[in-house]
Amino acid sequence: MDIASLGGELLGQIPFGDIVLYLTPFNLFMFAAVLIFTFLIAISRTETQVETEFGTLGNRRVEVDTAEFRIRRFLAIVCGLATAGAMVTGDLFNFTLFVALIGIVNIGIVSAVRQVEVLDAAFQYGLIAMMASLPLFGGAALVLGSSGTLSLLELSGMAGNPMIVFAALLLLMGVVGETGVAPFYATKAEMFRTPGSPFILIIHLSSLLVIVRAIEVLLIVSL
Amino acid sequence: MMVPEFTLSLFQPAIYTGLIAGFIALLGISFQKNDLSALIITDIVGIAMLVIVAAVGTDLAEALILPGLVVELAEIMAISEILISREMRILGEVPVVEPRPMELEVFRTAPNFLALILIAYGVFLTGFTGGAVAGAGILFYVATRRARGLPTVEWDGIAGISGVTWCLWLAGFLIFFTAPQLWLPALFMSGCGILIKVASKMGLIGVLAREEIREAGGDE
Repeated sequence: MDIASLGGELLGQIPFGDIVLYLTPFNLFMFAAVLIFTFLIAISRTETQVETEFGTLGNRRVEVDTAEFRIRRFLAIVCGLATAGAMVTGDLFNFTLFVALIGIVNIGIVSAVRQVEVLDAAFQYGLIAMMASLPLFGGAALVLGSSGTLSLLELSGMAGNPMIVFAALLLLMGVVGETGVAPFYATKAEMFRTPGSPFILIIHLSSLLVIVRAIEVLLIVSL
Repeated sequence: MMVPEFTLSLFQPAIYTGLIAGFIALLGISFQKNDLSALIITDIVGIAMLVIVAAVGTDLAEALILPGLVVELAEIMAISEILISREMRILGEVPVVEPRPMELEVFRTAPNFLALILIAYGVFLTGFTGGAVAGAGILFYVATRRARGLPTVEWDGIAGISGVTWCLWLAGFLIFFTAPQLWLPALFMSGCGILIKVASKMGLIGVLAREEIREAGGDE
């Protein structure tokens, strides 16, 4: 499909050899939004949960210590930057790499928690993310194999054929598995139970924005 | 088209192979109830992904396999880290096992010889491959020395050497682009730079693991 009808008027191109970045209002808005969110997350402090103790009147504070806090903040910033990259990239394979990076960083953000249930959920999420790398990279490779290019700008000018539609479906499966949205959301909801907001929130935010961008990419590639 | 006819004819069989291998691995995961086995079988899915990427068969596909492989390795390392940390939380405090030095004759003779050969061959190869070979030699030497319970030399400064030689590599590449007539010194700079960088990094793996174990309170 035509880029202009999806993302608005084409504002310009940044050619890096094979990889041509294209700028549309849609991409730039999403890019700026992610950067603002990442900045807000980078300057904020982590939450402290208060748990009610069963059988007594006491409460218990669940705090995140400094070392864990710093690691999480770093990974949350990496996750934000990877999301920003996925918003603005003009190359299909770079998009899949950014999505895979988001998946890895999401596991990393919850990897240092103490709750066994959360670690269990993170493990299941990791397995799904790794299985999803097959359709994700496989889809990108099929697009390359059947059209000869990975540049979204060039793919937008080509008409889709059955092979590319199949590749786009694989790509969608990959993005869904890697970001952990429905039908794989159960493990991710469990991961949210750990203390450490707002760093946990970037997990959620990145998957929402990546899905929006993935739909644009799929429409460009397949129609 | 640059791609030979034979490679083109392999495209579809390779895609089918990748998809079928991935599907068999998914079936295996669904039957498997052990977490560790599920993780290992998941690796097969990752390799099936590499098969599909490799099916394209052009230079670009070659450039795409490397990031795919790196992503797959990073994911399996992250997930196994999660698995280990979960098992550690479940087990709680475990008694520290004292490493017992092993004194075998082959540990005294083989490391010197093999490390020497590997380092010499690595220097002869130069570049990334040579660095990996020489690094394996250094790592083997250090590992066997530690298995005998002997102290290893101090490695604190080696990260610095690694960084400096990486700069050498970058400078070599800059010369390639800015002054192509000086290609020979540039080639030597980048080739030897990456050799020393990779070799010292490989040597660091064992050292870093040791530091981490010591920080966690185990070992020494």
